[in-house]
Amino acid sequence: MSELFLAIGFGLVVASVLALSAVGLSLQFGITNYINFAFGDFMAIGAYTSWTLNTGPLHVNIWVAMLIGGLLVGVMAVLLNRFLLAPFARRFQKLFYILIVTFGLSLVLLNLVSSIWGDEVQRYNISNQAPQHIGPFLFTVDQLVVIGIAIVAMLAIHFMLTRTRIGKSMRAMSDNSTLAMTSGINTGFITTLTWFLSGLLAGIGGTVLGITQASITPGSGETFLFVIFAAVIVGGVGSIYGAMVGAVIVGLATEVAALFIDPSYKLDIAFAILILALLFRPSGLFSRPGKA
Amino acid sequence: MTAPDLGGAPTAISVDSALSCVDIHKSFGGAKAVNGATFSVPKGSITALIGPNGAGKTTVVNILSGSLSSDSGRVMMGDTDITALPSYQRARLGLIRTFQLSRELGGLTVFENLMVAAKVQPGESLMNVYLRPGLVRQAEKESRERAASILEQYGLYDLRDNWARELSGGQKRLLEISRAVMAEPSLLLLDEPMAGVNPALIDRIGGHIHELKAAGVTVLMVEHNLGVVEKICDHVIVLAEGRTLATGLMSELRENTDVVRAYLGGVLDGRVDR
Repeated sequence: MSELFLAIGFGLVVASVLALSAVGLSLQFGITNYINFAFGDFMAIGAYTSWTLNTGPLHVNIWVAMLIGGLLVGVMAVLLNRFLLAPFARRFQKLFYILIVTFGLSLVLLNLVSSIWGDEVQRYNISNQAPQHIGPFLFTVDQLVVIGIAIVAMLAIHFMLTRTRIGKSMRAMSDNSTLAMTSGINTGFITTLTWFLSGLLAGIGGTVLGITQASITPGSGETFLFVIFAAVIVGGVGSIYGAMVGAVIVGLATEVAALFIDPSYKLDIAFAILILALLFRPSGLFSRPGKA
Repeated sequence: MTAPDLGGAPTAISVDSALSCVDIHKSFGGAKAVNGATFSVPKGSITALIGPNGAGKTTVVNILSGSLSSDSGRVMMGDTDITALPSYQRARLGLIRTFQLSRELGGLTVFENLMVAAKVQPGESLMNVYLRPGLVRQAEKESRERAASILEQYGLYDLRDNWARELSGGQKRLLEISRAVMAEPSLLLLDEPMAGVNPALIDRIGGHIHELKAAGVTVLMVEHNLGVVEKICDHVIVLAEGRTLATGLMSELRENTDVVRAYLGGVLDGRVDR
């Protein structure tokens, strides 16, 4: 029984990392209507930026480093959209071409990360912590902080989407960008802001992934991208709340399943969930009309 | 109001116009959709834009609203040249449009559909959201009150918490117009507002358009139903083959042989052209 609670506890930590990443991916998809295959590499750049700040001469606190890494990836995402993705999206109306562009971007960024930071496994400079009992669960302080960051981020996004004009404008644009524009919404600004938030969440997600997995490699974001896809598809592509729920389902399922199968197959559990979702509910739990 | 300009292709632009376009051209591939359209919409009027199918009416509305850019020509809103402005900036100047097929923000509630259309608010800035929450709250409160009042007026208040995609066709049409009203337009472009709605609703929408005129809003509406045009419009612009054929009162245009020939093959009798 205690093993089950341990698995659920770590499942919540994985779900938190997934929620940050899946919501970042969904926010951008909702506005642009195409999947960014370079999202995993955005995560890796955030993770390595934090690592450089955390383990370099400045010895920046890991949480501050995470925030700086997130902000940097946010700015990078805006610039990449402005000068690379948006011009392609304008020029080629077919979704296929822009997907190929993001796939190509992913390869470029992956190799860029490898050439800058190397291929060896890196670790953050954080002390070993004894896990604490929280009810029947066991968490380290860092794991609790990761869960806390995810909860605060999800609440902030919920508040923004439902209570602020910017959030409503994002939802309106995601629904019908032409109508949003003719209603006076500055769709260019909303697109830029969305890319920034998506990059910010990718950068933060990359760092917390490195913290929870106790290691970072150039390909760790890309590998995790397929788990993110599983969460996004289970929740409903383009749905922010679906991404949150999908993250919890996939996070818990992969960790609890590891009790019964070899843990090295955890990624395959995510694939199995992805395939089952596509077979039985391809529109996801929170499907949105009008979205692919 | 400008004097009716009958016959030929009008080119003069009235100084007292809310909106005008000069020598607008637009081609799609080899097909010329608009071929030198020039007209002005008198301030405070309800003006109809009519013409046979393929005359270029919707293309002109798309160009006027900024949804489409013209190949050449100018669009003026009062004295301001808005040719180069994107549609959201035209909307912020007060030029709001509706679409031929009702469009709603289906993933938002009826109430939220109106809230996003409210004129520029302090809540648009993230700095204001976090640093001046009181100001944002006050603006939101005012917008909420205004949205509630408009929904009441358009008979949609009881549906305010429904998803917009769940509304019926007629309700979606009313929502589209009420969302346009929420944006505080000085000039409203209605693309076939009566299309696909029942006769009772046609009267109701006609009444709302008159209320808007009384409130000082200029209305330009594309309309096929000549009975409606006769009843509610005080100025008519006739387009044919992408050019302005004539402007004036409906009763005067009936006597214009060019218009009669181009429009309905010889009969302008107020029936619905479908």
